[in-house]
Amino acid sequence: MEVPMEIDKGSHGPASTNALLQWSQWQLLDSLLPTGGFAHSCGLEAAFQAHMISGPEDLQTYVLHVLENTGSLLLPFVYSANMSPNLETWHKLDRMLDATLTNEVGRKASIAQGSALMRVAATVFSEVPSLKMMRSNSLGSGTVAFHHAPIFGLVCGLLGLDVGISQRAYMFITMRDVISAATRLNLIGPLGAAKLQHDIAIAAEEMSKKWMNRTFEEACQTAPLLDTVQGCHAYLFSRLFCS
Amino acid sequence: MRKEMETGFVAVEKIGGRSTVTRCFSKYPLKFIIPRKVGSSITDAVWIYSLTYGGGIVSVYKSVGSKCSEQVLEARIGSNALLAVIPDPVTCFSTARYSQKQVFRVFSDSCLVIVDWITSGRHATGEKWDFELYKSSNHIFLDDQPLFLDTVLLEQGSVSSIAERMKDYQVIAMLVLLGPTLKHIQNQVQEDVKRMMSEQLRFPSTATGRHRSSDHRLLKPTFIASCSPFGPKGIGIVVRIAAMTTESVYSFLRHQLAGMEPLLGVPPYG
Repeated sequence: MEVPMEIDKGSHGPASTNALLQWSQWQLLDSLLPTGGFAHSCGLEAAFQAHMISGPEDLQTYVLHVLENTGSLLLPFVYSANMSPNLETWHKLDRMLDATLTNEVGRKASIAQGSALMRVAATVFSEVPSLKMMRSNSLGSGTVAFHHAPIFGLVCGLLGLDVGISQRAYMFITMRDVISAATRLNLIGPLGAAKLQHDIAIAAEEMSKKWMNRTFEEACQTAPLLDTVQGCHAYLFSRLFCS
Repeated sequence: MRKEMETGFVAVEKIGGRSTVTRCFSKYPLKFIIPRKVGSSITDAVWIYSLTYGGGIVSVYKSVGSKCSEQVLEARIGSNALLAVIPDPVTCFSTARYSQKQVFRVFSDSCLVIVDWITSGRHATGEKWDFELYKSSNHIFLDDQPLFLDTVLLEQGSVSSIAERMKDYQVIAMLVLLGPTLKHIQNQVQEDVKRMMSEQLRFPSTATGRHRSSDHRLLKPTFIASCSPFGPKGIGIVVRIAAMTTESVYSFLRHQLAGMEPLLGVPPYG
């Protein structure tokens, strides 16, 4: 007896596309993704060696300042790239950010992480062939620095991630990387780090809401002391991190 | 900037081999003072002092409602020309709101020196980072392409106050040196900052976190500076400073810019 094959109509519907997207989203936020974020402390190592982090309160304050500055300076680039995920916009944002990241330590860190993310995304998210194309096109031109924030926004935009989620995600991975650096600098234990991360989520959400959805012309830095100290990273006698 | 919004305009051109003010216009509350002679007569430089009646550029008074004191400077620096913007620091009084924007358009052989700095307030009355808002933008365009886009925003926030962000530092400053003619000064500054900070950071905290507060080596540095090149072939450098005293920054600027005397006629901050 023939049993009619039933085609599962749900497998290509919008609900399952959204579900699949979540897996990509989680992968993008997972520290397992080989983008080299673990090599950067967002100036924490320099701040620590300059005796500015003497306890857990100082660490918490430091993370909050990094997040605020990430919001004010970098979220506009994530936002703009996400809204117009095309080659021309990406290149323009990359140029603008290169002129905006006047701190050499921060600038190099952004380039290292952006390059790595673009390479990983082009390989991993093969359902978006334009990523691979944009990457090879830009490598050839020699005028693209591959800064992190615009690429993050671009990848999120091409994957179809909501613009609000993309900006929060950028804040999240920044928080993840600083706190991870703190554990490796022995400033806090792994359990304490997890607690800290959860405790500051409310503030991180507030800051995300405050700084999201702005154009890159509005980008500004709000923690000049942090910027000055991060710039000293190259003067450290011994270092664990690149920045 | 639209012509009708301009409060002032100055043009300096080389006439008969000497830098000469060819146009100078200002309307209240802005005023320019251009001394006839500054420094030795061998030096070819024009000094321009600008004053603003009422609030003053340097001292920013309490804001009324949410009005913001705003200054805009636009400068075009020609080929082989030099502009040095070397003000005293801005001091914002309690509850003040201040915003400044400086836009510079240069050629590849133009020279530009910018000092932009702010102190935490009137220390005598205990004001330390007590103002509402301070915003300072410095944009440099080279052949119409963005070369240096920096905006610092200090605003009292819900998550952290400005004082908290500044810790014990009372002054933040930025020094920009751009242009091929300033290469020797740039190199010297980079070396000096590197040497000074490497010394300061030679005794890092240990993971045990125990500090004897009497041991000076384990305290926060009273003067922190970092220096970064920017632009194609590192055509410019920017120095960022955080210091606990205004005097230490004057001293640093005086020392680092001493080499500008032949170009300006007198050493800046001398």
